[in-house]
Amino acid sequence: MTARDGFVQILRGEWTKFRSVRSTAWCVLLGAGLMVLLSALVAAGSTTDANDEPAEPIIADQFHFVHQPMVGDGTLVARVSSQQDTGPWARAGIMIKQSTQPRSRYAAVMVTPGHGVRLQADFTTDLAGSATKAPRWLRLTRAGNVITGYEGDGTTWTEVGSVTLDTLPRTAEVGLFVTSPSTAERVVRRAGGTSVGPDWRLGTATFDNVSLAPASGARPGTWRNDDVGGPVQQVDGTPLAGSATEAGGTFTVRGAGDIAAQPPSPGGDNDTVRDALSGIYIGLIAIVTLGVLFATSEYKTGLIRSTFAASPRRGRVLVAKALVLGVSTFATGLVASLAAFLVAQPIQRGNGFRPPAYPTASLSDGPVLRAVVGSALVLAVLALIGLGLGTILHRSAGSITIVIALVVVPSIVGSLLPIRVETWIQRLTPLAGLAIQQTRTDRFDTYIAPWAGFGVLCAYAAVVLGAAFWLLRRRDA
Amino acid sequence: MTVTSREGAAATLAEVSIEVRGLRKRYGSTVAVDGLTFTVQPGRVTGFVGPNGAGKSTTMRMILGLDAPDSGVALVGGRPYRSLRAPLRHVGALLDAAAVHPGRRARNHLLWMAQYNGLPRRRVGEVLELVGLAGVARKRVGGFSLGMRQRLGIAAALLGDPPALMFDEPVNGLDPEGIHWIRGLLRSLAAQGRAILVSSHLMSELEDTADHLIVIGRGRLIADTPVSDLVAAASGDQVILRTARRSEAMTVLANAGATVAATGRDALTVRGLPADRIVALLGENNLPFAEVAPHRASLEEAYMELTRGAAEFTAPVIKEAS
Repeated sequence: MTARDGFVQILRGEWTKFRSVRSTAWCVLLGAGLMVLLSALVAAGSTTDANDEPAEPIIADQFHFVHQPMVGDGTLVARVSSQQDTGPWARAGIMIKQSTQPRSRYAAVMVTPGHGVRLQADFTTDLAGSATKAPRWLRLTRAGNVITGYEGDGTTWTEVGSVTLDTLPRTAEVGLFVTSPSTAERVVRRAGGTSVGPDWRLGTATFDNVSLAPASGARPGTWRNDDVGGPVQQVDGTPLAGSATEAGGTFTVRGAGDIAAQPPSPGGDNDTVRDALSGIYIGLIAIVTLGVLFATSEYKTGLIRSTFAASPRRGRVLVAKALVLGVSTFATGLVASLAAFLVAQPIQRGNGFRPPAYPTASLSDGPVLRAVVGSALVLAVLALIGLGLGTILHRSAGSITIVIALVVVPSIVGSLLPIRVETWIQRLTPLAGLAIQQTRTDRFDTYIAPWAGFGVLCAYAAVVLGAAFWLLRRRDA
Repeated sequence: MTVTSREGAAATLAEVSIEVRGLRKRYGSTVAVDGLTFTVQPGRVTGFVGPNGAGKSTTMRMILGLDAPDSGVALVGGRPYRSLRAPLRHVGALLDAAAVHPGRRARNHLLWMAQYNGLPRRRVGEVLELVGLAGVARKRVGGFSLGMRQRLGIAAALLGDPPALMFDEPVNGLDPEGIHWIRGLLRSLAAQGRAILVSSHLMSELEDTADHLIVIGRGRLIADTPVSDLVAAASGDQVILRTARRSEAMTVLANAGATVAATGRDALTVRGLPADRIVALLGENNLPFAEVAPHRASLEEAYMELTRGAAEFTAPVIKEAS
């Protein structure tokens, strides 16, 4: 007889125990059924108009502008002596613009921290110059409706490009501008509601050697400064105003915003696959109960003595129980998550989650398959945590309460807390395991990577089962 | 008769015994078992007697490796229980008939145990037949009476056809017919050469069943003796005398040096004189008598004698499963 034969016998015995009581069937049906039901309800209660948005690009036109009018042709020269790196597309340069009205026509030559020197016009034209950062000399000339941009090192000039602005009025505003698009999202929680928007930061640049030479020979006027398009607003409504100061010919300009035509939204930002599997929050209660009862029913009745009399090798009994429970709950979970996904998807489509904003999720996509199979894995590991706690505590109610408290409570409490607190709750509690349901990585609530989160959950299971294993061999039965 | 263990070693029934040496167990400040040593020999029914709380169940749990002794050893066929690979083939035990999952069918309750020890599936049907539960094999245990659960527990003990068996209070909850049945079963199992240990807190339950007695009180061994010796010792040399002329008989016998006690309307218990001498004295004095017989103490009396002062609980007796 090999040692493995003995284990297979215990495994068969535990399978007989598992399948031969009614509570098993109840927990399995309830767990799978509730998961599918809740997923369907969540899908039915969530609608989107993502596909109804206009197809035209949204034009952003927000920056800080130090300007004065220039009549007719002329040349503006300035050196950007420094630019703070607030993102690859932060812009500092010189501009000629129809007026200070947002979305009016313009042409500008600028430096950026990540994309070198650019000549941009009318929100869609973008010509690349050299891959140089500040400090850099910039020059913009107007000849009729033709605007030409140059860059230089102070001794030689190179043309970046030229554009024709055919309806540019004779008097246009010219000057220095600074803007800085947001590179991160800001999430604000207020009274339980969550708002997500761009996280604006002011970009700063300094200019010197500023000279304006109208072809008419008229004396340049005085510089004025404005937040074109109004100051940007943070998601909580706080305005973030730009500023400009001048001292001894050096201008320090600060501004935030973007000057570009943004392509139509590439898609909604809901994680529809995760939403379709959200029934797991209810389903897991029945599955955890199943795991807990698999241990505690033996302690409650005293059956555990018959078990350990039939096999004094208690560690093997626990391993066999864990294997039977883990495989069974994984299979149950897989059926439930597949069903939830397949039931919820048509409902979501009917509620507006359609291509192009929401491409149809397919099980052949890696992240989708990971979410569906991962949900089953999460259920299996939660059941194992239940088994371990039941073995340690011998009490059904206490064990079930603890597991639920570790998973469901943090998810409710976390959504009411500041985002930074919730991030750590999501990373450190067993809730992290549900990160495996994520199929998008661009959402603000991507707290932890899918497999890393699942690893956190597995660590909890390892600790609980390890303690159970240790106690089982030490305690009197 | 030979039982082949799964390890391949053949063990004859006559060699298998349950052995306890210097067993000691303490729960907190309570000493449950205090240096207990005894052997359960094959081929006979050994009664394990003591008042509630004397340590009988604790001892049985230690024999089964469920509780770890603080010191001492418990061996089955010379080996600690925890080293047995298919223990149900070595020892069968009924500790607590209530230790069943109420939602599980009787058949499945035995099936998992059989699977644990690699026993053939047909054994389940066989033992159910043996204990008279074949008809309810597919019923859920939750609906069983206490008597049926006792039978199921006995079936579980017999599953591995083991050479040694332990039963903790097996007649609890059984009706008279069930008690009669279990006595016959115990005797026939012993007659097959198995070592049988049966605990009870009531000596009378073992009256006609046990061949040997291990009596404990407060975790200590009080007696380890054949039933016949114990009864003889408790009976002493007393003689029961029935006579209509009780007071005269008392005078005659007392004068002859006997200790006489009136134990009934026409009955006397005489100590200190052999029966033939009593008959002679009564004849000499023309005293008629209905009966002269040596007194045989009941096992209960013998037990009361032994455990006086060793009872964990004094009257009123608290009834609980010990």
